[in-house]
Amino acid sequence: MRRLTPVWFLGLAAGLVTLLRAAEATPSGPRVHWAFAPLARAEPPRPRASSWARTPLDLWILEGLERAGLEPSPEADRIAWLRRVHFDLTGLPPTPEAVVAFREDARPDAHERVVEALLQSPAHGERWGQHWLDVVRYADTHGFEVNTERPHAWPYRDPVIRAFHADTPFPEFLREQLVGDQLGRDTATGFLVTASVLLPGQIGADDVSKRLARQDALDEIVVNASQAFLGLTVGCARCHDHKFDPISARDYFGMQAFFAGVEYGDRELKDPESEARREDIRRWQQRKAVLESELSRIEPEARPGSPAGSTPIRPAVKARRNSDRFPPVTTRRVRFTVLETNSLEPCIDELEVWDLEARNVALATGGTTVRSSGDTTVENRHELRFIHDGIPGNSHSWMSNEKGRGWVELEFPGPRRIDRVTWARDREGEFSDRLATAYRIEVGTDAGGWITVADATDRKPFKGGNPTSEDAEAMLSGLEPRVRARARTLIDERLALERSIAGAVASQQAFAGIFRKPDRIHLLRRGDPEQPGPEVAPAVPEALGTLDLPADAPEPNRRRALADWLAHPDRALVARVMVNRIWQGHFGIGLVDTPNDFGRMGGRPSHPELLDALAREFVEQGGSFKHLHRRIVLSATYRQSSAHRPGAASRDADGRLLWRYPPRRLDSEPIRDAMLAVSGELQRQRGGRGFDLFDQRGGLSGFKPVESFPPEGLRRMIYAHKVRREPEAVFGAFDCPDAGQSTARRRESTTPIQALNLWNSRFTLERAEAFARRVRQEAGTDPRAQVRRAFEYALSRTAGVAEEREALDAVRSHGLEVLCRALFNSNEFLFIP
Amino acid sequence: MNPGIDALSMQGHGLLDRRGFLGRSATALGSVALTHLLGREGLLAAPTFGSALPSDPAHPYRPRPPHFPPRARNVIVIFCAGAVSQLETWDYKPELHRWDDKPMPGGPAVTFQGPAGNLARPQYTFRPRGQTGKRVSDLIPHLAELTDDIAFVHSLTSKSNTHGPAENFLSTGFALDGFPSIGSWIGYALGTENQDLPAFVSLLDPRGVPQNGSNNWGSGFLPATFQGTTWSAQNPVRHLAAPGVGAPADEAARRLLGDLNQRHLEQHPGDERLAARIASYELAARMQLSVPGISDLSTEPAHVLRSYGADDTRNPIKAGFARNCILARRLVEKGVRFVQLFNGAYASGGELNWDGHNKLKEQYDRHAAILDQPAAALIRDLRQRGLLENTLVVWCTEFGRMPFFQKGAQGRDHNPDGFTCWMTGAGVRRGVSHGVTDDLGRAAVQDIHPLYDFNATILHLLGLYHERLTFLHNGVQRRLTNVEGQVIREILA
Repeated sequence: MRRLTPVWFLGLAAGLVTLLRAAEATPSGPRVHWAFAPLARAEPPRPRASSWARTPLDLWILEGLERAGLEPSPEADRIAWLRRVHFDLTGLPPTPEAVVAFREDARPDAHERVVEALLQSPAHGERWGQHWLDVVRYADTHGFEVNTERPHAWPYRDPVIRAFHADTPFPEFLREQLVGDQLGRDTATGFLVTASVLLPGQIGADDVSKRLARQDALDEIVVNASQAFLGLTVGCARCHDHKFDPISARDYFGMQAFFAGVEYGDRELKDPESEARREDIRRWQQRKAVLESELSRIEPEARPGSPAGSTPIRPAVKARRNSDRFPPVTTRRVRFTVLETNSLEPCIDELEVWDLEARNVALATGGTTVRSSGDTTVENRHELRFIHDGIPGNSHSWMSNEKGRGWVELEFPGPRRIDRVTWARDREGEFSDRLATAYRIEVGTDAGGWITVADATDRKPFKGGNPTSEDAEAMLSGLEPRVRARARTLIDERLALERSIAGAVASQQAFAGIFRKPDRIHLLRRGDPEQPGPEVAPAVPEALGTLDLPADAPEPNRRRALADWLAHPDRALVARVMVNRIWQGHFGIGLVDTPNDFGRMGGRPSHPELLDALAREFVEQGGSFKHLHRRIVLSATYRQSSAHRPGAASRDADGRLLWRYPPRRLDSEPIRDAMLAVSGELQRQRGGRGFDLFDQRGGLSGFKPVESFPPEGLRRMIYAHKVRREPEAVFGAFDCPDAGQSTARRRESTTPIQALNLWNSRFTLERAEAFARRVRQEAGTDPRAQVRRAFEYALSRTAGVAEEREALDAVRSHGLEVLCRALFNSNEFLFIP
Repeated sequence: MNPGIDALSMQGHGLLDRRGFLGRSATALGSVALTHLLGREGLLAAPTFGSALPSDPAHPYRPRPPHFPPRARNVIVIFCAGAVSQLETWDYKPELHRWDDKPMPGGPAVTFQGPAGNLARPQYTFRPRGQTGKRVSDLIPHLAELTDDIAFVHSLTSKSNTHGPAENFLSTGFALDGFPSIGSWIGYALGTENQDLPAFVSLLDPRGVPQNGSNNWGSGFLPATFQGTTWSAQNPVRHLAAPGVGAPADEAARRLLGDLNQRHLEQHPGDERLAARIASYELAARMQLSVPGISDLSTEPAHVLRSYGADDTRNPIKAGFARNCILARRLVEKGVRFVQLFNGAYASGGELNWDGHNKLKEQYDRHAAILDQPAAALIRDLRQRGLLENTLVVWCTEFGRMPFFQKGAQGRDHNPDGFTCWMTGAGVRRGVSHGVTDDLGRAAVQDIHPLYDFNATILHLLGLYHERLTFLHNGVQRRLTNVEGQVIREILA
């Protein structure tokens, strides 16, 4: 064909294309791109075999098949459908009991009952929330080179899960994402700031760098909002008019202007619950100070200048928290001198000096001043003033400018009677380098001299690590029994208080965007902040409609206006994009196969009228997700078998016409979740701070994966602390998005690394052991019963005769774990049937 | 050509034969399986270009033909993290001696980290080297000896002066997070020769991961298959064996899995992905066997270890890096397509990488002692074994450094406006210096090349048109070079 194509033909074809393009652009009759047109109102078609249909949507699918000369596949095996709908709606397999119940449920509405129960389960929100988090590239770190922890990101993740569980109507959901702060849903605005961002201190000190960083940060917001709701990639128009879609650079900067007052950052939440929590925190902190004061009187006093060779009685220094008690002394000055560190320049996050009433007299707010031997200053991170600002953690700390040494001197506004100093490298436990391992604490005398009140000579030697729990034990061991009992009570109460405070503090902060007076937005030539053109006011892209605000519109009005415009029932594009995402969630591929691109370069809908009918119904039902789920999963289309049919495949290889239910591999999270569900270990605790996948929650150095998880790490994977760009050690390889760019549709690759991970990882082996334990417990010692139970759990069926024989052979000679490991790795376990 | 076919199981064979997977003709692959497996977003260049087809699922690493006959088959990238100063290494600026300790006329008052100080002379002596007589610094005497073989580009520019975005830019062509790295693009385009090993291996520096971590070897929106597998002489590939499982139990589990999958496949004929997963377990099993052998450097003769400095007991970091260099050679020898060899770790005030803000000379003395001898030995060793004829060696860093010191410091700030990277080996012109920075080394002034051009040149040497190596993602045909890129023809042999 290629050989024979004459030149004139190519020329003609090129000419035709030009003509068509020109026709599209003529002012007399600009053809509206299908996705931007209003929703069509079409009656369902009347295909010949219409009795097959269970819902109206089936009529469209059937008509499409008939037109292609195809027919639908037979109904799937009842249990295959059950597994399918379980994985689809909740990301978890059915229990053997659910399988039996459904098999024996002869009621005509048995399917409806299953679907209803699944839609009502919290697991549904956990599964469908994940789809949304993929689109908005949610993560718990800031990305880029430093990739530090974003500790208050999860307050956005949880309400997303809740919204899908509660079936929050889509227009409301959309509004909350953009202007939740004005609707009593403060955390939802985390949507605006899900992207990677360079934090202050990581941006260059020069203005050029600052302007570029600000543009990058705004760009991510525009890209996110446009992709998520409009299914359009407007990002290209940042540097030039969009090549294919009617989005000009002016349109792009018009969109940017809606967000010109948004900054990335943590915000104190303003809802009533947060106010109440703040009061709790105050009370708990007071109580904690009282406890610490009493505890400190139990602590052994420091014995500075203890001779080498004497038995040290005080615990070794720690990165998290150190206390030095001494006989009460009155002074105006305290000096802390570092003599040695475990590495590099010393760093101290907070130096606290306590008076006899357990008040910290070091605080700058109390009038205390500070000076030092010299500082390494990193703006907003390491500054001398942070050593007594009352805020713990590396990001508010002092760093010396000399390796292994340096001193800090506090001067109180008047004489203070003190008996204790507490200090740490990083009370948040993230860093344990730069720790003072030898030091001296002195108090100033009236004559201008210094007296040493504490040092490290009576401490046990520092052995590295960053222990958290040994703390209390080490201290208790040196006490007489009566005192020890009291101390233990105090320590336990303190620990409980610390947990409560940390939880409460975390839950009233959210990385949810900070709103301020908007920047002026200019059209930037080639997207270059150094080449500003005319000022641009907030406006939606011309091709999509009209919404223009004055260039000086106040911040909240901007986001609100955009949200109202997007949420309006007439926004056909917005409804199409969302409905398509839902369809894709159920079938693995959308009616439009480019879910984030409904522009001219995107795919065309396989069933345009169906898409519009569903979008119309979605809008008419107030944007109920669950209504749409029911429609789809109860359809005849969804109930088809997934068996391959060569004849049908030869006409419709992609299966876009849905001549069968398209089978697909489980995503990374459902694989992990399903293994835990089957092994009986899945922890169902919902929400809150994410569990650790690595030895650290952010940062620039290598991440060491957790291999053997504590119970809290056996929660669903959506509750993991998601480190941007760092693939989870076992399941990351299963095409888990890295939260760099929006993932509207997950890829499905097959790699030997996946096989190595799932076959050999400690995670799999431990699950196999737990699974085997569970099966032995339930099935007893009879290997035959064990094999049956294992198959029921993993595959929702019993073993065939030959399978049973093979399994028994392996189980008898090598133990049940062998079978469990093989089941977790089997194709049948890993594919949605 | 197709190692591993014999090792394929019967079910794999049957299915693959049926689908024509083993056919030599690329066209026999057809679009049926491919659209399924990679999703419809995953198309390489438009088929009209007659380019390589996307990977097939059972053999994601199967070699695929480039767009045109390549000059290089494999690549080793020596990636110096933290931004190496061009003024202390390859770009000699005698004028700086005259201007030493004087303010730079018209220079910026504030740069990335703060106020600018006075100009500072090169901190090392530059000597003429080899036949070209090009002056290269005494900081890296071993590499300097190779000057006659190297094509330098002195006029590169970056889009960012911040390590993270700039390493993104160097490795992915975009300053933002989330785009595929060059190694994954190349694996996606070309597959690899050895089906028992990954197509793309990232060897991490003994001191830790580079500033931007996995972004440098991530696959972004390309299929996960193509991401770099991290490895190093110190840390072997993960999950190569099941801890605590004896060989008989392992074998029994494997047999059981084979039976389960076999039966399932029989009940679900025609689904390529099922066969692909079966094949992936077989590949994994072969990796389990082949990887430990490659990691085992005890088979290297003493003189080889010595020439790399891998036996240097006084400098264990250097010895560690040297072992990575030997590993790089072995991987290329085994046909691994793309090897990334990191020198330098994360931000650490210049202690662990080339980020010399404060104490440049003191720190560079240490860093160069780690880089120099092993890297030079690697290039020599490749040549001696004839591997350099097919292997492109690239030396790169994310940007350069300013001609002045920072105020109150003995080091230089970030400079994205003119810096040096180089190439040697397959297809590269020898002994050429291309592009010029101004007399003080502040910015490129002649033959200015954004890093896009450098990456386009690497693709070109591999027989790939950088404009045609594309992947449709979220509505845009994405490329390594975005919408830019010119091959730097002046450095091609």
